[in-house]
Amino acid sequence: MNVAPPQRRGWTRGQILLAFLVLTTAIASGLALFSSASSLTNLSRTAFSVLFMPLFLAFVLSFLLSPLVRFIEKSGLGRTNSIFLVYLLIVGIGTILALRFLPNWEALWTNLGVDLPRYADKFTGYAKEVLDTIHEHFPQIKSYDLNTKINLWTQQILSATLARTPVSALKIGGLMVLVPLFTFFFLRDGRTILRAFVSLTPNRHFEMIHDLSYLVSRQLAQFIRGRILEAFIVGLVVWLGLSLTDIRYALVLGIFAGITNLIPYIGPIVGMVPGILMAFVDFGLGGQFWWTVILYVLIAQVLIDNFILIPVLISRVSNLHPLLVFFAIIVGGKLYGIIGMIIGVPIVSIIKMTILEVRMYRRTFRLPESALDLERGP
Amino acid sequence: MDPIWSNIFRKTPEQDSLAYFLSNLPLFSELSAKEISLLENLVHLRNYRAHEIIFEDGDPGSGMYMIRSGSIQIFSRTPQGEEEDLARLGPGDFFGETTLTAPVQRSASARTLEATELVGLFRSDLQEAAEENPRAASHILFGLTRVVSERLQAASIEIRRLQRMLGEDAAPETIET
Repeated sequence: MNVAPPQRRGWTRGQILLAFLVLTTAIASGLALFSSASSLTNLSRTAFSVLFMPLFLAFVLSFLLSPLVRFIEKSGLGRTNSIFLVYLLIVGIGTILALRFLPNWEALWTNLGVDLPRYADKFTGYAKEVLDTIHEHFPQIKSYDLNTKINLWTQQILSATLARTPVSALKIGGLMVLVPLFTFFFLRDGRTILRAFVSLTPNRHFEMIHDLSYLVSRQLAQFIRGRILEAFIVGLVVWLGLSLTDIRYALVLGIFAGITNLIPYIGPIVGMVPGILMAFVDFGLGGQFWWTVILYVLIAQVLIDNFILIPVLISRVSNLHPLLVFFAIIVGGKLYGIIGMIIGVPIVSIIKMTILEVRMYRRTFRLPESALDLERGP
Repeated sequence: MDPIWSNIFRKTPEQDSLAYFLSNLPLFSELSAKEISLLENLVHLRNYRAHEIIFEDGDPGSGMYMIRSGSIQIFSRTPQGEEEDLARLGPGDFFGETTLTAPVQRSASARTLEATELVGLFRSDLQEAAEENPRAASHILFGLTRVVSERLQAASIEIRRLQRMLGEDAAPETIET
């Protein structure tokens, strides 16, 4: 029989083999990826949570320090040398401050250890008195046993903060190493890093992304510098004002008020609670107590912050709705504890500002277009 | 010649560098070596495939492009959707310079004709440079202004010439100058 060999149409045997191999590898690697997906997401989550905080702090610090570095750079020093000089300056000022305050610092720390329970005791004492008077007027409340409950709460809160302290001390130690390191590279190569990221965008969108990255980073720099400067000045005012009274820990209270001032709406209130409480416990309802209240509320918050600092330093654009502030604080606290509470709000502000800047950019370029349309007319 | 050796003599690395390309452009011919190296860090190198749109009429414009290799076509679209060829540019030419200093829309579209390497210089980079290094930035801007005003002058001479040509044909009262 003479059968013509079947016309090979389509694939040769080699190609089929190749396709088979490729498909098998694809399925196998897909399965492997799928099975390890949970560990992969875990891995990335851990990496993110470990790196997030130092990266964010370094980011903020580099925005804060870059004007100083640029200023020194203008005198002809190289960028790396300028950064080293800035670091040297910071370390120098830090050592001077430490030497100036360290003897007091240790005494202060031990005092604080003694005084905190004392203040807590006195406060619960006052609360007890108040409760007793309430009980006299409303005997039916007695069944709730508020007295022991308040005692229990204060003990719980104190022990919880104490239990968490070593962990956060370790974290802070890690941050002390990582943040200066990251900040150094951000300061030195920040522009190159940003350019490298921007250059990844496809040609068609490159111009817009490039323009936006510039606008957003300029806006961010302004916002971060404004916020930190504001917190610093408020802290300074509180410290100076409290130094006039006989209150102890004026410096600590000032620092606390400055840091909490980074959080809008709630921060200032939280910041003034310890100072006013201490003044109340130590001085009673005397002149010094009222001076403390006036200092915190009227001078630091209303006069300095609201009338001078916020209009000068911070644009209204970055204002957040109070509800959004609460969300940011709650989520930040849930994710990263106390530091998360402080940085949650600035992060949300940054996101909001980015969105606004993008919208403004688009509007800037849409306006002339609509004007042209009007001109062309029907 | 041996192919292994011929490669070496084709181009010196210096001539291949971006700095060499920039310093040979008429725009930047008067810049010092230091300013060229600053400019080198300011510009963006972008690679385009053939027939790729660089920008469209009406896009937000943020800077100019110089052609390092390849060629591009500037065109505009008529209301009927037809393309009208305005110009074809090759290596060493530049385009889009009108949007470098003012945030305006692109007034025409640009497309590559072959695989093309463009060097982009954008407003935001120039603004940053002006803050950090005003001296060099002003030199760069001077070079740009010189070339742009040359173009403007050539254009106005051309307009006058066209007007004169039109004047010979049209009635004299329709011409105003």
